[in-house]
Amino acid sequence: MSGIGVVWDIAKDALSSSRFGIDVAGHNIANVNTAGYSRQSTVQEAKHPMFFNGLQLGRGVTTSQVVRETDQFIENRLMQQGSNLAYSTEMENYIKVLEGVFNENSDASVSSLLNQYWSLWHDISNNPLGASERIALYEFSTLISERFQYLDGEMRQLKTDLSNVLGPALNRINQITNEIANLNNEIVGMETSNVANDLRDKRNTLVSELSQYIDTNSFEQDNGSLTIVSARGCVLVHSNTNYSISLGGTNGDRVEWLSSAGSKVDMTDYISNGKLGGWLDMRDEVLAKYNLDLDSMTREFIWATNQQHSQGVGLEALSNLTGSYAAVSATDAIGTAASGLSFADKIQDGSFQFWVYDSNGDVVTPGGDTITIDADTTTLNDVATLIGATDANITSSIVDGQLEISAANGYTFAFAGDSSNAMAALGVNTFFEGSTAGSMNVCDAIRTNFNLIAAGRIDANGVFATGDNSNAVAITDLQFSAMDIPNWSCDRIDGNTPGSITASVEGYYHALVGSLGTISESLSRERSFDEVSASKIGEIRDSLSGVSLDEEMTNLMKFQHAYTAAAKLISTADEMLATLLELK
Amino acid sequence: MRVATKTMYDLIKFNLAHITDDLNKANTVVASGKRINNLSDDPVGLTNALQIKSNIANINQMNRNINMGKSWLLSSEGALTNVQNMLSDTRSLCVEMATATKSSSDREAAALTVQNTKDEIIALANTQVSGRYIFAGTNTEVLPFEADGTYNGNSSPFAIKTANDSVMQVGADGEAIFSDILTSLDDLITHLQGNDVDGIGASITTMQGHFSDISANISAIGSKVNRMEIKENILQELTISNTEQLSQIEDADIADAVMNLKSVQVAYQAALASSSSIMELSLMDYLK
Repeated sequence: MSGIGVVWDIAKDALSSSRFGIDVAGHNIANVNTAGYSRQSTVQEAKHPMFFNGLQLGRGVTTSQVVRETDQFIENRLMQQGSNLAYSTEMENYIKVLEGVFNENSDASVSSLLNQYWSLWHDISNNPLGASERIALYEFSTLISERFQYLDGEMRQLKTDLSNVLGPALNRINQITNEIANLNNEIVGMETSNVANDLRDKRNTLVSELSQYIDTNSFEQDNGSLTIVSARGCVLVHSNTNYSISLGGTNGDRVEWLSSAGSKVDMTDYISNGKLGGWLDMRDEVLAKYNLDLDSMTREFIWATNQQHSQGVGLEALSNLTGSYAAVSATDAIGTAASGLSFADKIQDGSFQFWVYDSNGDVVTPGGDTITIDADTTTLNDVATLIGATDANITSSIVDGQLEISAANGYTFAFAGDSSNAMAALGVNTFFEGSTAGSMNVCDAIRTNFNLIAAGRIDANGVFATGDNSNAVAITDLQFSAMDIPNWSCDRIDGNTPGSITASVEGYYHALVGSLGTISESLSRERSFDEVSASKIGEIRDSLSGVSLDEEMTNLMKFQHAYTAAAKLISTADEMLATLLELK
Repeated sequence: MRVATKTMYDLIKFNLAHITDDLNKANTVVASGKRINNLSDDPVGLTNALQIKSNIANINQMNRNINMGKSWLLSSEGALTNVQNMLSDTRSLCVEMATATKSSSDREAAALTVQNTKDEIIALANTQVSGRYIFAGTNTEVLPFEADGTYNGNSSPFAIKTANDSVMQVGADGEAIFSDILTSLDDLITHLQGNDVDGIGASITTMQGHFSDISANISAIGSKVNRMEIKENILQELTISNTEQLSQIEDADIADAVMNLKSVQVAYQAALASSSSIMELSLMDYLK
């Protein structure tokens, strides 16, 4: 039966539908700035009509559902781009720091230090007897060693920093995956009747944050729960369970995934996206390369100077010395890796002259003693024995793997014409000690006696002149002499491989900073590209899902007017009823 | 396309951030006067610049070496010219003393003069440049000639590096230059004291021989100085061309940089103006 009651019903439904509209518009307005929020709207439908007296009478409106305007495909693209952006931003941040470490725009830059280093050898060659030139060379060489140590230290610090940021990031990842697992549970429970709009938004936001940290690949199950797989196929979330990842490995700097069975999977080298991807690429590829390159360059620089230096003689012969390079084994051939000498690979078959002088400075054995080195058979013990056998006034021994030689009171000794490189490799009569950027320093012997800086050479009769500069001149020649220096390429999966380029130390260093600049430049470009494309996809997402206040204002007014009209319907029905009741 | 309220604010933030970055870069270029302020600004240019800087440093060092070498050579030249004059005087003295009219006492007196000459030549052979004996081979800290003419130096002349691949002898083996002269002077003194006219006559030829040896030495030194001066000129030109090249790579074209800064400034102002006017717009302003 159609009656006034129907009007009441229609008015009631219209009022509530309009109120729903206003509610949803209000919800949208309230979330205008909420990250990841997708605007919602009500779906209103006309109610099923009813038949009355052969007429189909409409029965008003009903709000069937509240839908959320979203496109999961675009959401996924946005997450992917966000992940790329996080990767390139982190890479750029750290490479800028590294670039600052290698700052070449100051007078203290390594390339100008290298120039000055050779200049000081020139100065010594111009005045081999000059004490001030010797002091200047010593001081400066200490400075350059410190500079290399600083570069090495800074790079190691950066590596440590990069390992340290992993921990908090992994904690956050585990928190996020835990929350997603909980949300999966809630969504599955809620969606038996309705779509869980806000919970899905929340889950999307969390997945998007997760993809900022690490590679993610997600797909939805039929029941609405989301499965997330990360690098190397490691599942982070499945249904209502999350699998945690943590730091492990011997140095605690590897990322390990813990399976439900309790076994661990090292996924470090496979993480290629998000902040973690950026940090790991930076730590294990970029920084690793420059660290190795710097070490290789320093090694050749030290060797070149030492090798030439060991051919010369200072202003005075030696009364005792300790070789600065220690062998691990004194019974293995010095030219083999088993000896453990830093420069074992440089030793070759050859010989050197050993000269002994009496207290008047006169040669004891005319012609000197020739000591022959066979790289594959001569051991450190042999070297000590051979030297000790030259003269009764000379004692030679191995202490802690280092060659020690001393002369009896008043006697002195010196070396010349070493074609075997053994002296330089044992750190005898050398200028620098150490073999890496971090360990480089001026030899103790030089530090305590500048007269031992070998500017001159010993002639065939064992005589040397203090004004001789021929060895210093030979050292200045090294500035432009090309050597084979390893040029590393580091890949997390393929490992580190030493390539080789032939260049002077200076040329190598210029190429090193040049390549650093190039990488930094291309990373900046990559970051800028990722930023623009993330912003573009963000725009597309927001054009579909974002809240427009103007639109919501209009909706608000639309529903407000509808509400007013529905209210009017009630007052009309009321008046109609009153009219009926007033009938007498 | 539908534009969400958030999109407008996001875009304003994005654009302003980019323009401020441009502004910062343009300002750095103007303020530093350098086109390359970071390794990544122009890695290829930077590598070239480093190479050129190293060239310039090397040229400066070669200049210092050459200056030092020149001071040695000029001192040698001065000393040898004096020796040459003395030899010429001694030869004249010989000619004079070889004549029969001279008495033995005249020759005794002349012997004293020659002795003085010998002492002076020894003094000249002991010439020092900044504390180093230049006629001592590489034994530069030991007095090369004792008063009796004994040589303490060695026979390898002191040499310096004048180019990346060449060294030049700037010192000398004193024995080769002076020992024969000193012996000849001793002989002459003996002849004079012994009133040996024939001996004195023979000394004329000997002195003549020494005179031409020293002349040859002086002209060899002269040509070395000449070569060094030519090298100096070349190095000077190289310094100029290298410095020019460095400036082209490294330095900013200030007019260009300022224009660029201006245009970024204008773009920034425009972005600020349009952003603020967009932000003012809202439907709410029109609702009552």
